[in-house]
Amino acid sequence: MSLDADVGLTRGSLEVRCAVHVEPGQTIAVLGPNGAGKTTVLRVLAGLEHCRDGHVVLDGEVLEDTASGAWVEPESRRVGVVFQDHTLFPHLSVLDNVAFGLRSRGVARVPARRRAHEWLERLGVEDHAASRPRAISGGQEQRVALARALITEPRLLLLDEPLAAVDASAKIDLRRTLREQVSGFDGVRILVTHDLLEAAALAESVVILEDGRVSQQGSFAEVTARPRSSWVARMAGLNLLSGEASADVLRLGNGSELIVVRGVSGPALATIQPRAVGLHRERPTGSPRNVLHSTIAGIDPHGDRWRVRLDGPVPLVAEVTPAAAHELRLADGGVVFASIKATEIDVYPM
Amino acid sequence: MRWGAAGRPLLGLYIPAAVAVLFILVPLVGLLAHASLADIGDALTSTAALTSLRLSLECSLLAVIVSAIVGVPLAYLLARTAMRGRRLLRGLVLLPLVLPPVVGGIALQSAFGRSTPIGGVLHSLFGVTLPFSTAGAVMAEAFVGLPFLVITVEAGLRQRDAGFEEVAATLGARPWRRFWLITMPLLAPSLTAGAALCWARALGEFGATITFAGSFPGTTETLPLAAYSAFEGSGAVSRAITLSLILLVISVSVLVGLRDRWLGTVA
Repeated sequence: MSLDADVGLTRGSLEVRCAVHVEPGQTIAVLGPNGAGKTTVLRVLAGLEHCRDGHVVLDGEVLEDTASGAWVEPESRRVGVVFQDHTLFPHLSVLDNVAFGLRSRGVARVPARRRAHEWLERLGVEDHAASRPRAISGGQEQRVALARALITEPRLLLLDEPLAAVDASAKIDLRRTLREQVSGFDGVRILVTHDLLEAAALAESVVILEDGRVSQQGSFAEVTARPRSSWVARMAGLNLLSGEASADVLRLGNGSELIVVRGVSGPALATIQPRAVGLHRERPTGSPRNVLHSTIAGIDPHGDRWRVRLDGPVPLVAEVTPAAAHELRLADGGVVFASIKATEIDVYPM
Repeated sequence: MRWGAAGRPLLGLYIPAAVAVLFILVPLVGLLAHASLADIGDALTSTAALTSLRLSLECSLLAVIVSAIVGVPLAYLLARTAMRGRRLLRGLVLLPLVLPPVVGGIALQSAFGRSTPIGGVLHSLFGVTLPFSTAGAVMAEAFVGLPFLVITVEAGLRQRDAGFEEVAATLGARPWRRFWLITMPLLAPSLTAGAALCWARALGEFGATITFAGSFPGTTETLPLAAYSAFEGSGAVSRAITLSLILLVISVSVLVGLRDRWLGTVA
């Protein structure tokens, strides 16, 4: 089983072009900011929308091909979807929600309900079988939605921000359940999310979709260590710079230069960990190879660290302890010197 | 009473507002003041009144059923499809709301009367005569009641998108199964409200009924017609008042039944 899809369509002012290839037993995360077209791609895969040009092929079966006009209705696709909203049918009990897919495919009421009950047990929500969806919590609701999607033994499982509507305390449990259930499912799995943590927990590889385009794909570790877009860098908590590398110099677009470790030449990207950026009120002397004369643009508390946004030749985010921030009187703003060791700058080809 | 920073309500608005309230209230009080328990008892046991009450209920319920059978599909198409000329169609559906009922009755007569092509065919092939028959009374009532059902159901469909139907599709449900198991149950509150409004309108229908169906006791003389003929013809004012009270009670019941929809918290 594998999924091969190349989807092109226009949604309002957004031009979407997204190709994905997923092997069975693999979870791929389509990751990107809100409004990037992720859900649209998912809807095309599920057959809820047509694409303008492209194809969707699952296990060799052509579900849609605009070249030949092939089209399979969503109800015939063997696709399971966990939606972010519109999760459960409000007028049916939890049990009948889960049994719905089997009943729609011709399974008699009694065996359908028995199997639905088994699935509720598997997901630890069997106590709520008789409840109406409005009587259960968001986390339980998503478990039921997952059971409802998996009970029909789909070949393609689509998860649309499955944790978005769940409160923080229930998230950890639900994430683990999702991971267990999803890894036990041997079809093709696609997760759509804007949450890096969700992607990290559930997916092996990621496709970054921004403004309708795939900006990067690869393993989760690869993509987050060497992001190719500012959005990924921000989500991964990294400073991302782009410029031209030659020998031990990275020349940025605005003309400023950073001393880096030699190795890459040509158009290049570079990341810097915020905590690798040192801040000083006086120009530092000694080892740091790069010292940037900057002004403080803002300070945001971030856990036990404070994030200091810097304007200057190189816009950067530095991370300091509250104690250091106090000592340097960073709250007063003004001019600071940012120091970065050449070895702390990870340069890679664009 | 509370009001916001925008200031006190203008005192000058109280007087016309009070006039408006009295304008509605005084006639109702007058109606109640002229009713006597004895008259009500007499009317409720009189065969004539009971006949028109029963006829009214039968005709109006049939009108609601007919309206629902054709009105729900129409509302669905208006709400969920991108048909050409949809705005025009909606305007047409709303027309009976603003059309004088008498005009509706005359229009029905001109289309389905014995001497018209349609009426002629119905009579010669099926022996059916719509004007001055109970079926005609049902038609007249459905004509004026249908828009209430259609617009209420359409609004109910528009309130939510097709998300649940889409979920059902991904679960393998074919279109008709989605319609009966998802669309219709979720529509139940709107359908109930629309049917209640349609029913209230059908029950009170006068102009179209008397023009198209006439006023024959036992066949087409519904409550409003009976009240009018008691009031105007036989001078049995007390009977007219009693019949009016019955209609008033029904109207108030519909209003109470729909209170959450109409009298609920206004933001």
